[in-house]
Amino acid sequence: MSETILDVQHLTHQFRLTKHTTIRAVDDVSFQLQRGEIFGLVGESGSGKSTVARCIMNLYRPAGGRIFYRGVNVCDPKQYRMHKNMLQTTRQMIFQDSTSSLNQRMTVADIIMEPMAINHIAPPGGSLRAEAERQLHDVGMDASYLNKYPPELSGGMRQRVAIARALSMEPDFIVADEPIASLDVSIQAQIINLFKHLQAEHGFTFLFIAHDLAVVKYLCDRVGVMCHGKLVEIAPAAELFAHPAHPYTKLLLSAVPIPDPRLERARVLQTFDPSDLQDTGEMREICRDHFARMPVEGVPH
Amino acid sequence: MDDQGFACAGIRPLSHGPAPQKQRWYRGKPIVSILLLAGIILGCLFCNAFIPKDPTYMDLFHYDEAPGREFLFGTDAMGRDIFSIVWYGGRLSLLIGFSATAISTAIAVVFGAVSGLAPRWLDAVLMRLTEILLSVPNLLIIILIQAILGKPNVLSISFAIGITSWTGIAKIVRTEVRQMRSSEYVLAARCMGGGFFHILWRHLMPNFISSIMFMVVMNVRNAIAAESTLSFMGIGLPWEVISWGSMLSLSEKALLSGSWWMILIPGLFLVVTLLCVTNIGNWLRKQTNCRQSNL
Ligand SMILES: Nc1ncnc2c1ncn2[C@@H]1O[C@H](COP(=O)(O)OP(=O)(O)OP(=O)(O)O)[C@@H](O)[C@H]1O
Ligand SMILES: [Mg+2]
Repeated sequence: MSETILDVQHLTHQFRLTKHTTIRAVDDVSFQLQRGEIFGLVGESGSGKSTVARCIMNLYRPAGGRIFYRGVNVCDPKQYRMHKNMLQTTRQMIFQDSTSSLNQRMTVADIIMEPMAINHIAPPGGSLRAEAERQLHDVGMDASYLNKYPPELSGGMRQRVAIARALSMEPDFIVADEPIASLDVSIQAQIINLFKHLQAEHGFTFLFIAHDLAVVKYLCDRVGVMCHGKLVEIAPAAELFAHPAHPYTKLLLSAVPIPDPRLERARVLQTFDPSDLQDTGEMREICRDHFARMPVEGVPH
Repeated sequence: MDDQGFACAGIRPLSHGPAPQKQRWYRGKPIVSILLLAGIILGCLFCNAFIPKDPTYMDLFHYDEAPGREFLFGTDAMGRDIFSIVWYGGRLSLLIGFSATAISTAIAVVFGAVSGLAPRWLDAVLMRLTEILLSVPNLLIIILIQAILGKPNVLSISFAIGITSWTGIAKIVRTEVRQMRSSEYVLAARCMGGGFFHILWRHLMPNFISSIMFMVVMNVRNAIAAESTLSFMGIGLPWEVISWGSMLSLSEKALLSGSWWMILIPGLFLVVTLLCVTNIGNWLRKQTNCRQSNL
């Protein structure tokens, strides 16, 4: 883990609702991803995680800041056009809701073959269809599903198809935007294990967006916590769960239900006032690799 | 892949249930319309095989003759055998109907998709443009185009009709695309690097095709009717180029001489075709409505 594959610097994005009101969905977010790591991005609903992911994938043009992917500034239209092919083939995205991220009128085989067909990739498995079958097999489904349409599959299978589609390009970098949020718990576990297995096998870099802390703790190497568009804390997963520094992180951690009823009763929900998130805060290193957002004076709230 | 280091519980092999009961395939379908229309289309296409006379030959000894043994549907004022020319001319009418529809649908789909995918200001500009076009009488535009293109022929008529009848479809396409464009499968295709036409063809078109199908079929009808109207008014095909419309354009003389067959026969073919197309179009619309409510 040495090479920085993704470098997000001071990313800012705002949505214009009417002429006079804009919302800052993402506000001065910076983080780096090393090659081969799994980075988790957590935060409550509406904290801007999807917006970060979509800026990284060039689906939104950020209002400010820069995003470097393998040294290419993807926000710069000129550089983007120059490296378009590399960017499109080595980065892939998996969406939250597999019902809407798969076109209902395409068969599973067509869906998996689509990125290869667009980019004119010669499939390593001979024909495109053989390659689709191999990818499907990799995510634990057999060839009998190739001619099915997405509505005929269960949610977990659809998500597997979406994963197979993303993996069919052998990408270096995958962004998964809450890929398990729409699944039920037992299927979630399957998909998480599948991710872990596939990541170990292919070694891709993985930006995993979730709001379920337990999943992040299990899967990710490092975790970033977002709150109201700002990144408030970044730390290795174990460190973050052991010693949360920012009050918002403490709140999130205290909100996780504990399976033991006695402990659960004694659990105190931390409080956090979002107005404490001042504009003047900055990221400080608390201990090795552990950053938290502090007011400039240096006292955490 | 020989690595099976993970268990995939919960995936059962597919079971094949009993085949669904066979329904009568023609139930609820506009069978009469389909058969009649198929008969007319096939008859026009293969008319060379059965028409008794050369449709362009003017028999100066037998003009204005009532239907009889030799001339099944009679002859027109130029002495042409109506039975022959009504099939022969149907070709052109249908050809104009379909090619004008192809032109208008292609324009509508591309225009609607561009407008649907465009940023808000461009979308507004394009939509105002269609409204302006919609408010100018079609006839005026057609006459203008005819004036530019010169002597009317099949191609220029199709073009003129096609270019004036795409706005309705374009508006539907635009609305549908606007709804679909932020859906995640379109975003996913964009992430993969799919271009405008790829997304349009693979993702958008299959999803909006059913909602414009009715309009497209109605466009065929309108184009056939428009050709007849134009030719009847004398600004369409000239009388020596045989189509149902140009046959009807001779009818005013026929009215004076009381030869009803000259109007009735091509008119009947025209009306039956239009009715069949309308009927099929209505059935298509019902189909799509059913499908949407079943979702
Ligand atoms: N297309 C849009 N137009 C206007 N506002 C938007 C748009 N997309 C997101 N927002 C706003 O931006 C903010 C961040 O949204 P975002 O989707 O990034 O949140 P999120 O962290 O992904 O939430 P969730 O966990 O629910 O997916 C929200 O306040 C949302 O209302
Ligand atoms: Mg989201």
